[in-house]
Amino acid sequence: MSSLYDRIGGQSAVDTAVEVFYRKVLADDRINEFFDGVDMEQQINKQKGFLTMAFGGPNYYTDKDMREGHRHLVARGLSDSHVDAVIELLGETLQELGVAAEDIQSVADIANSVRDDVLNR
Amino acid sequence: MSHIVFNEKRIDLKEGQTVLSALLDHGYRIPHSCCAGVCQTCMMQVLEGDVPASAQQGLKDTFKAQGYFLACSCTPETPMRITSIDVNTLRCVATVVDHQLFAEDVLHLRLKPELAFDYRAGQYITVWKDNTVGRNYSLASVAELDDCIELHIRRIPDGVISNWLHDEVRVGHQLTIQAATGNCFYLPGSPGQNMLLAGTGTGLAPLIGIARDALSQGHKGDIHLIHGGRQIDDLYLHETLVDMALTYRQFHYHANVLEAENVVPPISMNPLEQHITEVADDPADWRIYLCGDAPMVNTLKRKLFIAGASMGNIYTDPFVSANNVYDETA
Repeated sequence: MSSLYDRIGGQSAVDTAVEVFYRKVLADDRINEFFDGVDMEQQINKQKGFLTMAFGGPNYYTDKDMREGHRHLVARGLSDSHVDAVIELLGETLQELGVAAEDIQSVADIANSVRDDVLNR
Repeated sequence: MSHIVFNEKRIDLKEGQTVLSALLDHGYRIPHSCCAGVCQTCMMQVLEGDVPASAQQGLKDTFKAQGYFLACSCTPETPMRITSIDVNTLRCVATVVDHQLFAEDVLHLRLKPELAFDYRAGQYITVWKDNTVGRNYSLASVAELDDCIELHIRRIPDGVISNWLHDEVRVGHQLTIQAATGNCFYLPGSPGQNMLLAGTGTGLAPLIGIARDALSQGHKGDIHLIHGGRQIDDLYLHETLVDMALTYRQFHYHANVLEAENVVPPISMNPLEQHITEVADDPADWRIYLCGDAPMVNTLKRKLFIAGASMGNIYTDPFVSANNVYDETA
């Protein structure tokens, strides 16, 4: 059986999904304030890294990166509800791209697995 | 097995080895981070040889056109001569051939470089006052059309370089300038694509260069240029742009001001943020250039991206004062 990453479509799926996903994030009033003032080009590259990991592809983030990368956001109030919103938008993105429901659940599980690191708990 | 040439030194690559890994093995301190072709920290430039497609995946087309590639994703099959892209220190001397005001605070400067000077319309150069103090200015001219390079210099209160250029520099003086750089320029290849060029103040300099470049390269799609200013007087190329719109059917000029008694088209008093999505109501396939004040550029970029524009189609030249200042004595 092929891997989750391969089933979703690998690198090219990441390239397709990243703009759809990031557009949803920036348009969502629950979370978009955390992206005010960030460099969009750099951010979209980070989003690619995140999607690659969540799709079950190569992960080059360490737990430490996850913690340090989000510490300033936790200080600004980043909480479970925001992580929930991100995972919801990720699911919507994949649904639009025609990914199967069980694969979307697997992606959500991987994203959930870094929740505590992201929230610095 | 292939090899690379870096800083004039030959480095042999092991089977399947990436350029980044070989350089690191040989003790070169090359900035890098993800090693997965994502973060673009390890971007380098090819001088000679073929770049494997995998080393340019995900790069903006204007980066590819300049031979930029990602060292971490590059396993060349044939030899490549490469360089770092952060050590571009070529300087040359240029003579001032024209020094006139476009408006009270905007100087039109035309320079003739002593040596052949390569650039693409919309890129920027550094003008040096002395060895340690310089500022970046965008190019308004088009290399293939104009025999001089042209800059639009806005006088900045207390600005060391802008006041010097306005008040002390005169026709016949020689200035030191530094190689053109930046990725905000026109590339042929999609001649039917609609283009949006928006900017405030002297952000107009790169925009008019890009528009003229696109027209001279036969761009057929609509080209909409929006120039924003505080008041009517800030629209310092109004007549020129009105004439361009009469000359070229595909070129459309719009303007924006914040303060005025009353305005008539093509001038509008709608906020620029709103004006851009009125002009480009479905920007999904548009090619977009945004130049000028950095917070404004970022606001417009975000607005257009959310409206459907693709990040790969948005080119920006934000005038960032912090990055715009070189003062090596500081």
